[in-house]
Amino acid sequence: MKMTPQIVFGVQIILFLCTHYSSALYEDQVGKFDWKRSFIGKVKHAQIENKKIISVTHENVLASINLKDGKLSWRQLLEDPTEYEIKLLHIDRDIYTISSSLDNWILRSWDISTGSLLTEKNVIIEKTHSSEYSVTNGILHHVVPFAESHLEVTSYYLLTGDSTGPTNKISAPWIADVSDCLLTKTYYVCISRGISTYDYYSGQIYYRDIISRNGFVMIKPIHTLLGEGLGTVEMRTFNADVPGFLLVLNNVAKLVLIEKDILVAKSMDNIQSAVGIKNEDKLVLYKLEASDNPDKLIRVVGMDYLSGSNLRSVDIDYPIGLGTPRIMAISIKGSITDLLLTTTDDAVLFVRLPEGKILWTREEALSAIVATEFVELPVSELDASIENEFKTSSSDIVSMFTHRLTSQAKQLSNFILGSQLLSNSGLVRDEFGLHKLIVAATRAGKVFALDTLTGSIAWSYRMPNVKPIKMLGEEKMILFMQRSARYLPLPAQCLLLAEDSNSGNTVLFQFDPITGYSQKGVERLNYKIAQAMLLPHEDETNTKAVLVLSSTNQVYIYPSSSEPLVKKSISKTYLYLVNTQSSTLRGFNFHHTDPDFSLTPAWDVNLKGSKIVALSTRHPNERVHSQGRVLPDRSVYYKYVNPNLVAVATLSDDPLHKNVLSIYLIDGVTGLVLYATSHKRAKGPVHLVHSENWLVYSYFNERFRRTEVVSAELYEGHILSNSSVFSSHAVSLLPHVQTQSYILPATPSKLAVTLTEKGITNKFLLLGLTNGAVVELPWLFFQPRFNDIPCGPEESCMPYMPEVPLPSEAVINYNQSIGRIKGIEVAPARLESTSHILVHGLDIFYTRVAPSKTFDVLKEDFDYMVIVLVLSGLILASYVTKYLAGKKTVKQLWK
Amino acid sequence: MLSLIKIISVLSSLVLILASNLEHDGSATIRLQHSLTLDRNQQWVERGNISIYSLRLGQAVVKQNPLTPQEQKQLQDLAVSNKLYQVRSVVTTDEGSERSFISTVKACMLAESELDDRLSVSLDYTGRIIAVSLVVASKSTCEGAFVPLDKLKEFTTSVYVRQAETGPIPDTATFIQKLEREREAKEKGETKDNRSFFAKYWMYIVPLLIFMAISSASNPDAPQAQ
Repeated sequence: MKMTPQIVFGVQIILFLCTHYSSALYEDQVGKFDWKRSFIGKVKHAQIENKKIISVTHENVLASINLKDGKLSWRQLLEDPTEYEIKLLHIDRDIYTISSSLDNWILRSWDISTGSLLTEKNVIIEKTHSSEYSVTNGILHHVVPFAESHLEVTSYYLLTGDSTGPTNKISAPWIADVSDCLLTKTYYVCISRGISTYDYYSGQIYYRDIISRNGFVMIKPIHTLLGEGLGTVEMRTFNADVPGFLLVLNNVAKLVLIEKDILVAKSMDNIQSAVGIKNEDKLVLYKLEASDNPDKLIRVVGMDYLSGSNLRSVDIDYPIGLGTPRIMAISIKGSITDLLLTTTDDAVLFVRLPEGKILWTREEALSAIVATEFVELPVSELDASIENEFKTSSSDIVSMFTHRLTSQAKQLSNFILGSQLLSNSGLVRDEFGLHKLIVAATRAGKVFALDTLTGSIAWSYRMPNVKPIKMLGEEKMILFMQRSARYLPLPAQCLLLAEDSNSGNTVLFQFDPITGYSQKGVERLNYKIAQAMLLPHEDETNTKAVLVLSSTNQVYIYPSSSEPLVKKSISKTYLYLVNTQSSTLRGFNFHHTDPDFSLTPAWDVNLKGSKIVALSTRHPNERVHSQGRVLPDRSVYYKYVNPNLVAVATLSDDPLHKNVLSIYLIDGVTGLVLYATSHKRAKGPVHLVHSENWLVYSYFNERFRRTEVVSAELYEGHILSNSSVFSSHAVSLLPHVQTQSYILPATPSKLAVTLTEKGITNKFLLLGLTNGAVVELPWLFFQPRFNDIPCGPEESCMPYMPEVPLPSEAVINYNQSIGRIKGIEVAPARLESTSHILVHGLDIFYTRVAPSKTFDVLKEDFDYMVIVLVLSGLILASYVTKYLAGKKTVKQLWK
Repeated sequence: MLSLIKIISVLSSLVLILASNLEHDGSATIRLQHSLTLDRNQQWVERGNISIYSLRLGQAVVKQNPLTPQEQKQLQDLAVSNKLYQVRSVVTTDEGSERSFISTVKACMLAESELDDRLSVSLDYTGRIIAVSLVVASKSTCEGAFVPLDKLKEFTTSVYVRQAETGPIPDTATFIQKLEREREAKEKGETKDNRSFFAKYWMYIVPLLIFMAISSASNPDAPQAQ
């Protein structure tokens, strides 16, 4: 009894494998058109150890980077960075890390060469309180400070994780504010502020050795260390092997070391970001300075602590595009000094002294992509000149003739002289649109263009002080393609909208996505953004205008030159705003009253009492090829295809059913709720994907403790209500909704759907799973079955199975797991059969998928020779037989 | 047009049949106001009252004031100049809470339908009203239309209370039953093939027939040639 379902299930899997997955990826196709780049995130702590760089990052990743080429030797993903934080990295034969959350911390040790986990110890904290960790002589000290009260110090043996004794409570009424204190080796140091924040004169430094049981607190007035002056005093950690800290007053830092319980202050130039290291028992400081050499931007200065003299000063070839650097780790071996730098734009650089050469750079900003766009490349110059040939404005025969002659002469010379006149960068459009650029904006405010063929960075642009916009709990930037590369000689144009990290106002960045050139650079605007949309009309320069709505409902048009054009069509433009605070959706329509645009509310949907968790619209470039579904009786069941449909998911607390998930399909123009459904005892995360006439959503069912996927399909019925133009205003009948639910034996972290040029190719769903796999499954699996219609291969219908099978052949990234999938971006190629897929998270993975197989391309192993031989043979044979037949008839006539 | 209305009413009656998933029945009154001036600054004029006695059954009583001659002219002007007609519905539930919703339709469509409109009242799963939308049943839109004044007198409004459906759950029971049936059938022996003889063996018969046809076509020539 127990066996049978499995057997039949297995049979069915094999059946559908035969029908749909006869072509998974072959081994020799691996890496042919897909690529993956691995990242670790913004580096938090790092150490150079034995030809390796061991680093932990803000993304809670522990990684080992090869010193020679900057490639990852191994990488370990730790807990979710929203809950846990890596507090400590210590290397002592093995690697020790501490990840801490609000209510526990975990001590782990790792093997340094393989990165495998050796030991793990979980300590639960009873009181949720911030705590600090330090390691001395193989003993880990865990310090929990309580302001104006005491310190709780617990020590553990690093090797075993066992505590050395009971928790030591040290009375410390001198801790005024925990944020004014730090732990350096075994000393806990606090500064007390004076009466006002600017008055440090009466402030004191309190410090205490936390491991001596009968020690006492030592006090030193700040002004005895800093001397005269006015301003705020700040204490900063000093990254070195000796106990010490930096006292900063008015941006001038003084290094204070604790030598045998005595504070020794030493003033040195520009040491706010200095890093110390012990070399042959002498403390050496390294710091970065701006170089006065115009060709080289940064200078590394090494100083001897005791004498204060400069040991070395090397200018390094610092690239212009990177942000301000900071020293993360140092290692000194004889005359060679290695430096690991991180920058404000999250890049990691490795510099070797004395040459001062940058050996490699890692762009860790790409570990957090917040906006992407696939950009078509321009045609080659040869093609462009052919196009130009027919693009003359004059109708004069003579000038047209000369134009044609000159352009053809140019083409001929191009053809003979070879490719130097073709685009130098090699960024040229190919026949099938498989070569594209991916423009990706990152959380660090850096924009990259990636080549789809190789994954290499074509250009990058750093926007200082820019952060993404928060939308429905996700960090996003808004990227619009205003003009594609189709209109030579006009360059392509993109517009990126983000937020200023200081003021929160809108930042606008207009650029050419092919070269990265921006005429105006980053523009900072004086309003906050509420909504933005790309308008469909092109002006005389083939640019589509972008409409931005400010938080005060002001309308701005970019470029402003297309305002007259926008004014003409604005009355047919509709817009909606989602307010997650009040859980409302509000639609607006525009009309222009010279000289301004104004908005009037057109509809409301009030979902108060529940929280909007997800929202999905159809991809703006999606085309629906087939108008309906053909039923076995040869009648057509027409699809309800509404391009203005918005799918909204909300979660609400319910006293009876815990959480209730509601899904609404709302028309974005009229605000009519076309469909509403609810699932009781359902929990997030909710993922929505809306395409053509259907919607797929996933949620976690708390009652059965499993993830479920529901598909809903909208039909008009047997009569097509509107065959020419769809209008949301003309509602003749409400769509008929067909639904079906499935169990998904995995946890999705993102859902997406394939997109092709004309929409003829079958749709496949792409499921990004938490285990790092991206599975492509035909929409046919999810399509709701009609109850009264037979389902079988003849109707091209899969019999209903409650559980969605996830065969390993359907994993498009085969064995290359992608860390923490955050987004799946899809774009059509110019080949109807193919879509570009970019999966991003901690890693970036690009591949191409062909849902209905590559029906429009010849196979790679297509035998051209045979076809040529057969054809020429046939032609030859026909001529021979013609000759013979002619001869025969002549003979017969003579008879 | 009549058939469309019929379809909508059939759909709405379907909704009524399915309307049992509300846990608590409730009632609500809707105060309808409309704006007949330019769509910039709305001036809300009372249009009528709608009392929904039972949200579960969707029973509603509609009381609407006939349009004054001035209002008729305003509506006609809106329709001619292809402007929008707006309705504000102030919903008061039996618990006393008040929510207001705006809805917009094209004035010309409303005029062309001779003030025959539909009010869609959408509920969430608890029976709270989340949206009130005005809909004019039509197959196509218009770009401005002149409708004589005598046709713009009284609204005939139908109210449709539309509830949230209960979402589907994976149907494991029937699937297991199906598997059970298949297993039983297997235990009993091969499933009885009740197709006709030809349907079963056509793949053998057809080539045979073709072969025979070819050989018979070439045979008669042979004696003649000799």
